Amino acid sequence: MEKLAERIVKFRWVIIAFVLGLTLFLGYQLKNLHINADILSSLPENDPTALLYKNIGKQYGGNNIGMIVLETENVYETEVLKHIKQITDSLSIDSDVSSVTSMTNILDIKSSEWGIEIGKLIDEYNLPEGQAELDNLRNYIDSKDMYKESIVSADGTASLILFKLLHDADMRLAALRIKNRVNNLALPETLYFGGLPFLLTDITELIVSDMSVLIPVVFLIIALILLVSFRSLRGMFLPLLIAGITVIWTLGFMAILKFEISIISNTMPVALLAIGSAYTIHVLNSINLFSLKDRKKALLKALAYTIVPIILASLTTSIGFISFIFGAYLSIIRDFGIITSIGIVFALLLSIFFVPALLSGLSFYNKKDKKANKEKKDIITHGFLQPLIKILFKYPKRVLAIWLIIIAFSIVGVFMIKTSVNITEYFKADNPTRISENIMQKKFGGSLPVFVEFEGDIQEPEVLKMMIKTEEFIKQDPNIHSAQSVADLVEQMNYAMGEGEKIPDDKTKIEQLWFLLDGQDIMEQLVSYNLDKGIIQSKFASIETDEIDNFTNKMNKFIEENPGENYKINFTGIPPLYVKLNDSLVKSQYSSLIIAIILVFLIVAIIMRSLSEGVFATIPIIATVLFLLGFMGFTGIPLDIATVLVGSVAMGIGIDYSIHLITGYNTHMKEFGDTEKAIKETIMAKGNAIIINVLSVAAGFLVLVLSHIVPLKNFGLLIAISMVSSGLGALTLLPVILILAYRKKNNNKTV
Amino acid sequence: MIRIIFSTLILSASIFAANAQEANAILQKMDEIMFSAKDISATQKIILIDKNGNEEVREATMLQKGTDMRMFRFTSPASQAGISVLSLPDDIMYLYLPAFGKERRIASSSKNQNFAGTDFSYDDLESKSFAAKYTAKLLKTESNAFILELIPKTPSDYSKIIINVNKTNYYPEKMEYYDKGNNKIKEATYNFKKLGKYWNTELVEMINFKKNHKTQMIMSDVKYDTGLTDDEFTVRKLKQ
Repeated sequence: MEKLAERIVKFRWVIIAFVLGLTLFLGYQLKNLHINADILSSLPENDPTALLYKNIGKQYGGNNIGMIVLETENVYETEVLKHIKQITDSLSIDSDVSSVTSMTNILDIKSSEWGIEIGKLIDEYNLPEGQAELDNLRNYIDSKDMYKESIVSADGTASLILFKLLHDADMRLAALRIKNRVNNLALPETLYFGGLPFLLTDITELIVSDMSVLIPVVFLIIALILLVSFRSLRGMFLPLLIAGITVIWTLGFMAILKFEISIISNTMPVALLAIGSAYTIHVLNSINLFSLKDRKKALLKALAYTIVPIILASLTTSIGFISFIFGAYLSIIRDFGIITSIGIVFALLLSIFFVPALLSGLSFYNKKDKKANKEKKDIITHGFLQPLIKILFKYPKRVLAIWLIIIAFSIVGVFMIKTSVNITEYFKADNPTRISENIMQKKFGGSLPVFVEFEGDIQEPEVLKMMIKTEEFIKQDPNIHSAQSVADLVEQMNYAMGEGEKIPDDKTKIEQLWFLLDGQDIMEQLVSYNLDKGIIQSKFASIETDEIDNFTNKMNKFIEENPGENYKINFTGIPPLYVKLNDSLVKSQYSSLIIAIILVFLIVAIIMRSLSEGVFATIPIIATVLFLLGFMGFTGIPLDIATVLVGSVAMGIGIDYSIHLITGYNTHMKEFGDTEKAIKETIMAKGNAIIINVLSVAAGFLVLVLSHIVPLKNFGLLIAISMVSSGLGALTLLPVILILAYRKKNNNKTV
Repeated sequence: MIRIIFSTLILSASIFAANAQEANAILQKMDEIMFSAKDISATQKIILIDKNGNEEVREATMLQKGTDMRMFRFTSPASQAGISVLSLPDDIMYLYLPAFGKERRIASSSKNQNFAGTDFSYDDLESKSFAAKYTAKLLKTESNAFILELIPKTPSDYSKIIINVNKTNYYPEKMEYYDKGNNKIKEATYNFKKLGKYWNTELVEMINFKKNHKTQMIMSDVKYDTGLTDDEFTVRKLKQ
């Protein structure tokens, strides 16, 4: 180790130049970094339900559909209709909008004895006026399933305007422009904007504002903690510099590898600032510890003393993040794991190579550190560490008992953990997107799309009849208010031809009815170009897991019981995806935790060459994870796409404290050969760095509480709590275990 | 001074009027070229081309008398063979579906709808004089074309149509359709060929820019003035 340290000092200028060059290069790459707020795009490719959902979104254009809800006392007023027409017109002239559907331009097929009228629900150039005409319109809409609750709410207070963006449109720019355009009409009614284009725009804005606010705040807070702890500018500046360079490198690397910033990896800079500064803290701390007269010698000795624990710490932290690669349902979670662990490796390399290089190269040795350090050490040492040591040695069993009680309580809490997969719940209650989604839910029977896809010749009577049967079946579910397919249109046309509202038995008849439907905008939302696929579109009103489960099971059973030679039925939609997401959250929580525990244990055991030390190091962290999950259970913080990360991250970061303690203990054991003395010495020597580290990481993550995205808020809070608890675990539970194990060994010997 | 301004105003106003007059005259001449035959019978081939270049071909026979009586009878594809559309004056339309053996009167309350999957709206296909539907303005005169701007006289989805009219023969070469946001949404290009004493629309291609979809209408076997009678345009004939 000393050799490596000497080399680092020898090649310091090469290292400094290399780091500067790489930072400039990767910093330049940042311009290629993109934000992708679309959680759905992160659904796995190998899951048939997810794949079908993605394909339906692409093929039938559903992913490009935006919604505007106009809310007022009564939609059936000429003035209101005029405003709906204004919105419709202003949307349809937008260069990115391919079609608009609203009350004032929706297709309507009327039929009577004399013939068919294919036209519009309302003549947009001659809007209904006077009570009689408006009442007629209301009665007509109420009588048609096609319109009720899909274009006008059942209570007549809200109307929906749907628009579809062109495939090559920039969704975010288009959404922003459309919102502006419509708001500029200055209409007296209340307007809500929903659908994927607006949702993604909102999330992107939240991510941008989160990042631009949170990162500087984290910087400031960590700087403050470092300044107070080290009482030197060097102590503040260096860890932040390393963390800053780490963030730039990682983001630049992301850009090169074409990773996108997601609603999850948005937290990566905060995490890296908090974690990345920690390694430098330990290097600096040990340099302070070996404050010899010969500064170079001090540096070399300090490096040799910290390299192993820092490598171990970063390895285990990486493992905490890497554990998401296995078993994560969403690729954004997997990507976050990969990227952050790469960042941790960067932080490690920088603090081992760049920090010493910089210190020796720029003669950046601490000049007045001796006195300041003594004073500061006195506060933590006298105020906390010395009394702590007394308690630990006096009442080790009681300390252990307190931990056991906490763990027992936590285990009860673990069984109370809830999950949350509903994306709207990820926004704060006053967020406009959440409000819009709530309105959609209340007025238009929910906004969770459900699709049943039929593969087969869509013009076959058997297929269309099956579509009708399926629609009738799904409409029986209390959470489904309406359903729509091309089969409905064929039935209406057949009725118009005077042969009743049913699917004709003769395929030629269907083909000829099709003649009237061809080229209507709605057709491409319902059938594929080759007419070999068609969908039933519907919406599910509930987000309750058991109701969704129930519906999904019913659907699967229905599909199984209704096989046909000429068609194949596939079922997808947000509800079944939520069920999968839900399962995967729980599964990946446990699988990533178990993977992390095993790997961390193995690494510690191998490097320490001791199974028992591996076990000792892992115990405090297992206690922390249990405490964390128990805390989530009791406080009702749900398991969601962000909090699912907490367990493994807490474990990866928290294990560091135990590692520092155990390695210190080993060194001092070699030195003194006496367990009690070694433990005391270790706590005195390492306690400092651990406490500073806990404070800076916890404070760093606590800043996420300011985030606009609810899961991230919870994530920050939970990590902060687990930092404190794993720090305490390393400083209390671990020494107590060592003390008791040592005493038992001694007792055994004397016996 | 005032007099100068005044006379300039009058002058420009009269230039304006002259412009409008000239533009309307050009449009009327175009109407004459397009709608002068007493009757036409022809075969129409309709090719629909989607954004991926997939083609769908339909064929029909067409009879037209004057500008407001037309019979359209599909001959292929087989599933649509026999489907007929009869248009009569005052926007009366009948549709016949042979599989049902019945005709139905179709009222298309909105003419901005597309005709049978093509990029032509009922409005575009109407053989009604342009001068009656639009007010014209001469934008400029090019070496072989007059460029006219047409503003609809009645409510329409179009805010304007820009037409290139051939300078020597007065048939339209190109029509550009604009929506109310002044975006060009469709464009029709025409190929005219002289058949006897009339100019015949051999090919019209309509491109819908938003849908990235094209329709070509190709006319062949054209016969003019064969003396079609009103009897050809009845519901009884529709069902044959």
